[in-house]
Amino acid sequence: MPFLAAVLNTMGLVFLTHAIYSTHEHHSLTASSPYKTSTTAIPSFPSIPLDILIELLASTLALLTGIVLSSPALKPIQWSTWSSSLSRSGRKSEGKYTKENIEVLGEGDPFQFLGLDSVREGEGRRGFWDGRGARGEYVGWVKAGGKA
Amino acid sequence: MTEEERQLAINPIVQSSVQHNTQVISNIRNLTASLFGVAAGTLGLESYPGFIFYLLGTLIVSVLLFMFRAEGQPSKYFHRPMSDLWLGEVFGGLSGFVLTWTLFYGLVRA
Repeated sequence: MPFLAAVLNTMGLVFLTHAIYSTHEHHSLTASSPYKTSTTAIPSFPSIPLDILIELLASTLALLTGIVLSSPALKPIQWSTWSSSLSRSGRKSEGKYTKENIEVLGEGDPFQFLGLDSVREGEGRRGFWDGRGARGEYVGWVKAGGKA
Repeated sequence: MTEEERQLAINPIVQSSVQHNTQVISNIRNLTASLFGVAAGTLGLESYPGFIFYLLGTLIVSVLLFMFRAEGQPSKYFHRPMSDLWLGEVFGGLSGFVLTWTLFYGLVRA
């Protein structure tokens, strides 16, 4: 799916650029010519050739699909579905973790960029310790024979 | 206690997921709104047809979101599917749409 999204985005961008360039060329050519070919009844109706119109709309549609497909997945909002998906996939799905498998929620000091601290601590705000995960690891270790 | 409060007490919702979903929808809306502006300006739409084009485009984006991101079950990802998915951020992207619409109209047509 990410590959398809990247292909759609790239193709969409290329063809959109080409369609815009073609429209610009078409208008710079027809603006000075004495023969106005397309005079439609509705004044604001697009007066560009059909192939450019199709290229423009198709590339826009491809880009739309690419953008939607390449966006991050939504998360379930119901507490029960959310927690069951967490316990199934494990907690290590995203974010930063310390060596002890504790999630780092933030860098701690929001004014670190000012450089007032001479010593960078490197301690972030920690999330909860994953007790169930650690227990699962311990059970696996015991079942494997209890050797380090 | 209203009916909705009681419902929320039985089935609580995860605030961080709601924020994440709103952020994703808002990002997509803003990106696609400027894209529609590019298309509308290149097409040379003026006045009401341009805004109708934008509304049609956002409808397509909503359908794409419904199919690919919400997997056909919007109530699983949105508290109020009507206002969060189908109408969410539609008018927030309007300024970006007008911006690129006028820019590309001027670039291509003038």
